[in-house]
Amino acid sequence: MLNYIWAGLIVSSFVFALGYDVRDFAGDRYRNGRPLPVTLSFPDGYDPAARRVPVEIRIDSGQYGSFYRTEQAPAAAYPGYLLQSEQGTQLRFAAGAKLPEPLATIGKVSRSRDEELQGRLVGFTPPAATAGVVFEPVRFVKLNAIATAALDFAKTGAEIAIGLIGVLALFLGILKIAEDSGIVFALVKLVRPILRPLFPEVPADHPALGMIALNLTATVFGLGNAATPFGIKAMEELQKLNPSEDTATNSMVMLLAINTASLQLVPPVLLLALMGTQINTLIFPILTTTVLGLIVAIVATRLLGRLRGYRASDPHRNPPAPAGVEA
Amino acid sequence: MDTARNVISVLSFFVVPIILVGFPLYGLYKRVPVYESFVEGAKEGFQVAVRIIPYLVAILFAIAMFRASGAMEALTRALDPVLGLIGFPAELLPMAIIRSLSGSGSAALVVDMINQYGEDSILVKMAAVMYGSSETTFYVIAVYFGAVGIRKTRHAVPAGLLADAAAMIIAVWTVRLLFG
Repeated sequence: MLNYIWAGLIVSSFVFALGYDVRDFAGDRYRNGRPLPVTLSFPDGYDPAARRVPVEIRIDSGQYGSFYRTEQAPAAAYPGYLLQSEQGTQLRFAAGAKLPEPLATIGKVSRSRDEELQGRLVGFTPPAATAGVVFEPVRFVKLNAIATAALDFAKTGAEIAIGLIGVLALFLGILKIAEDSGIVFALVKLVRPILRPLFPEVPADHPALGMIALNLTATVFGLGNAATPFGIKAMEELQKLNPSEDTATNSMVMLLAINTASLQLVPPVLLLALMGTQINTLIFPILTTTVLGLIVAIVATRLLGRLRGYRASDPHRNPPAPAGVEA
Repeated sequence: MDTARNVISVLSFFVVPIILVGFPLYGLYKRVPVYESFVEGAKEGFQVAVRIIPYLVAILFAIAMFRASGAMEALTRALDPVLGLIGFPAELLPMAIIRSLSGSGSAALVVDMINQYGEDSILVKMAAVMYGSSETTFYVIAVYFGAVGIRKTRHAVPAGLLADAAAMIIAVWTVRLLFG
């Protein structure tokens, strides 16, 4: 299933991006190559010899609306400056200006090094105040966006993993002490009655149950940093029981389902920061939702595990042929 | 309810220190060479993190592409009439979809909605409950299964998504019941 979802995400993003781009192209949304009428005024006066002249840019909202065929309206005036160069006169909007669409999108393509929206000024004969500004042609915005997003998040993925190294090392080290000193074994005996029914494949005295217990404790107290290493350690213990190398067992799916449902009594820190004191009124609904979600997760895992296809792929039912014995 | 909450939030401050101090202390009592044990276990941290990378990159880049493509808006429009039938506000559909895909993405959506509707609005409350009541399914799959090299995930994805869908609908209903 993950194969299909994964491929589906990639293929559909390409299809949708292309669709949006073709629509924009057909509708000439960005008016590539045509000048947008602007009115310029020079608060410090116009000096033809200066390379850089400060300017106030006004765009008539009626003209803007009919030019780009949009409902959005520009602000009353934008600060900016003129830049004289050999290629002609450049008009630059000050960085950080709140631009209406589609000018904002154009600004992402037609931009100077300092992230200012820039365009070529045409029909400008100083000191006349009206002129037109032509921006860099904007094409395939969405296709460009999905490519950039893919590259950015590939980097993010590696960064997240690298960022985990320290925390993983800390808690895996602590867990090794817990194993060597018998804490895990003691924990197993403690949680066996509760966890055994959920993980019937795990032998009664196996340390996996202790790791699962630690993972769940950390989750319940909202300690994501600790929960992840404990969960990974629990997965490793479950993997030791797995006859297959790359196929999940029922216990692994159960552990995963419980973790995605994420039963936590303490709301996430981020939510606390976002909602402020509002969070107090939300504790009860969050708790209700997460408990019911957990129940659905457990029931769904159990029921789906009984489907014929998933039974057939269960490594415990159909262990893979031992290495070296080719069918 | 309030005292129970206080007890839990106070306890949550103690869990990590107790683990970090208590485990080695108990190890000493049991005459375990604690420093050696710790280093032995910690060695694994690097390998685990590196093992996760391919899985995380695979999941994150596909989801990022999907979000950047504008497919979400199209999906929202397509599903709008269906959602009306179960009393699910269309404004929350992006949140419901993103929640299983991306943790940072859904947090950003909560921020957007606070800016748009204000903290007191029922929509923001629903979104916050959605955010607070489940984990990012695909991230958990990538990290947990990636760490042990599991590629064939069997029913993990459908089970996780079913639970997520249920949680999203329950979130809307409970908030509506309490504040609606």
